[in-house]
Amino acid sequence: MADKYLVQPDVEFIKEIRGLGGDSLKKCFQCATCSVACPISPDTKPFPRKEMIAASWGLKDKLISSPDIWLCHNCGDCSTMCPRGAKPADVMSALRMRAIKEYATPKALAEAVNDPKKLPLLAAVPAIVFIVIGMVLQVFGINWLDFTPELDAHGQIAHAQFFSTWLVDLIFVPLSIWAVVIFALGLKRFIGDIHKNALAEGKTNKDKIEIKGFLNAIVKVVPNILKHRKFSECGENNDRATPHMMVLFAFIALAFVTGFFFFVLYGLGIHGPYSQFHPVKILANIAGIALVIGGALLFKQRLDKKDEMSTYKDWYLLWLVLGLGVTGMLSELTRLAGAAYLTYFIYFIHLMLVFHLIAFLPFSKLAHLVYRTVAMAYNEYSEREVKKA
Amino acid sequence: MSETKGAPFSGSIMVVGGGISGLTTALEAAEVGYEVFIVEKNPYLGGRVAQLKQYFPKLCPPTCGLEINFKRIKDNPRIKFFTLADVESVEGAAGSYNVTVKLNPRYVNDNCTCCNKCAEACQAEVPNEFNFGMDKRKGAYLPHEMSYPAKYVISPQIIGTEDARRCKEACPYDAVDLEMEAKTIELNVGSIVWTTGWEPYDAARIDNLGYGRYPNIVTNMMFERLAADNGPTGGQILRPSDNKAPENVAFVQCAGSRDENHLPYCSYICCMASLKHTTYIREQYPDAKVTIFYIDMRTPGNRYEKFYDKIKEDQNVTFIKGKVAAVEEAEDGRVTLVAEDAVSGEKLHQTFDMVVLATGMQPTAATTKLPADLVVTEDGFMLNDYEKGGMFAAGCANRPADVMMSNQNATGMALKAIQTMVKR
Repeated sequence: MADKYLVQPDVEFIKEIRGLGGDSLKKCFQCATCSVACPISPDTKPFPRKEMIAASWGLKDKLISSPDIWLCHNCGDCSTMCPRGAKPADVMSALRMRAIKEYATPKALAEAVNDPKKLPLLAAVPAIVFIVIGMVLQVFGINWLDFTPELDAHGQIAHAQFFSTWLVDLIFVPLSIWAVVIFALGLKRFIGDIHKNALAEGKTNKDKIEIKGFLNAIVKVVPNILKHRKFSECGENNDRATPHMMVLFAFIALAFVTGFFFFVLYGLGIHGPYSQFHPVKILANIAGIALVIGGALLFKQRLDKKDEMSTYKDWYLLWLVLGLGVTGMLSELTRLAGAAYLTYFIYFIHLMLVFHLIAFLPFSKLAHLVYRTVAMAYNEYSEREVKKA
Repeated sequence: MSETKGAPFSGSIMVVGGGISGLTTALEAAEVGYEVFIVEKNPYLGGRVAQLKQYFPKLCPPTCGLEINFKRIKDNPRIKFFTLADVESVEGAAGSYNVTVKLNPRYVNDNCTCCNKCAEACQAEVPNEFNFGMDKRKGAYLPHEMSYPAKYVISPQIIGTEDARRCKEACPYDAVDLEMEAKTIELNVGSIVWTTGWEPYDAARIDNLGYGRYPNIVTNMMFERLAADNGPTGGQILRPSDNKAPENVAFVQCAGSRDENHLPYCSYICCMASLKHTTYIREQYPDAKVTIFYIDMRTPGNRYEKFYDKIKEDQNVTFIKGKVAAVEEAEDGRVTLVAEDAVSGEKLHQTFDMVVLATGMQPTAATTKLPADLVVTEDGFMLNDYEKGGMFAAGCANRPADVMMSNQNATGMALKAIQTMVKR
């Protein structure tokens, strides 16, 4: 580390962090209880004490590019033991949100996703996109959007009669590509930055990032993430690990289900709705239920935890998860119950929420899925924790 | 003001608590001519100071300061004191309070010569609270060598047993009176000064610091007794588990203090206490190593700062900026402390023979509801309302303080008490 470091406080940054849930950060008096209280903090340059002072001084560059804010799993043990109520866990959470904004482009959209006042506008976007594209296509005689849908060839209600799968995929396929591209752009900078930060703070013994070693680290880390190995070391918020796991696995399962039926539809040309007894359909139903239950539990745990600061970024994601699960299950149930217009309406909302999920993924708290995975892989690659042992 | 002329007499003053602040308040008021009653719950005067090996600012043994005060009390007919006494109720207003005081029986009268015959005869042993339970004492006992009044006490626990009878029979001076009963007296006073002092914060409540789980983790007040010549080890600093001389000792500062989960305030004296304890260790064991884990070393004033500077010169003493937040058991009764060194930014796991928790002070009123109309903060410190007057708090009942500050404060409150009566 350099002998001299010129402190250049960024007051705006401090204000931002306080606004994102780190309101308590100035209470910190640097006793370092948090770094020991944390069950997952390493011995080499542990967190979150150093993040607390950097945040207090407005050292944006040191924090935004730090892999350590991502190693934190928001256990909350530090906040519980903090003698000052400075809530390091909330500050770390705010820092992560700020980092997501930093690495996402376009910035204006990142700002909007995190501004409750812009929510009506963002909510209107998918509705407008669907209806406008649908109606424009109608002008050309393509009826992919039908406001008076009829039953399908088998005499069943089919959501595809309302929104054609062609229309849905015409929108969601490019949207998914957009999310991937934005993440790729962000990650390119992110990986370079966290490596520079680790070098500056003496957290690694690697000079450069070698692709092969880094990919190996990802392979090593992913099973641990799936098993929630770090998360389950948490003390205070340990009870969140299981619901979080339910939500994660539900998303993975649903992504698989989507891919599978995408193939069935376009590859084999078989239209839905598919049999309830099909194994993939059963998986989809289980995943849907897991999403609802996991989401609801996470929601309740946040509500119950009064000493934790929960802000818009947290509620936005929880509402989205819960909303996706509930509308997904309800559109299926109402379809089976034969409530045609009700089911079309719920399906419409469900589609809007899916749009939110994909389009705003790189800008919302959900982006932790990508950044934390990469940061944990980097930490593994950096050999920071084996260095001392 | 000379003794012979005296001050205009217009009532008497009650001092609740006979520790250093109470003694000072009482003497200051009595020596300018006021009648003073000291009410002390223990069987002896001297309070916490009596338990120390040495006290600041000059590292005197307590005998030094207390003895002269006891002599002044003995020589002053205006001071009356009650030991084993509790204030039960306070009624009235500034200038005239009716105070009910319960006098608990000592079962020993003024004939006692401290010959120790009763203690020899007594078979029952109980944990010695004067030494924080680190040893045992007999059911008939002198609280400590310097106890004033110099009279034995029969523990209420043995009353009605064979032991009590044995004590009575053993006494050659007819000093043991098993028929003694608690009685209540009424006193009318013009003003009351509360010098109810402090209790060491209950270290067992600080979960992560392991007190009560590992025998070689002691509190600073226990350490004071371990080092004191009249303590359980006769002044030899030995670790409790095996009476071994410790080779390296750690001090954990802010054990409970400056912590919203325990005592939100700074207890003022613990940093100095640990520095003082370091001198105890370094004088007794020339090769022993000492490590002090701290958030901030607080050494107020020039004299304390110099003391700190002197200790810093010692090669065997290490200061680590970082609060200990976890302890782990190590082999051979040793204890591993975990802290982040905030200067180097590395997490340390260091193992010690013995660990001293620098526990803070908690005012008595935090745990005991005092039977009077007092303004007490959330933390249990009494606030002084000079407008209302009549009752005042001095010493550690008012704020965390060392002996010097307590005495300054006590002198001031003696004057406030006098003013209350002069105004009447």
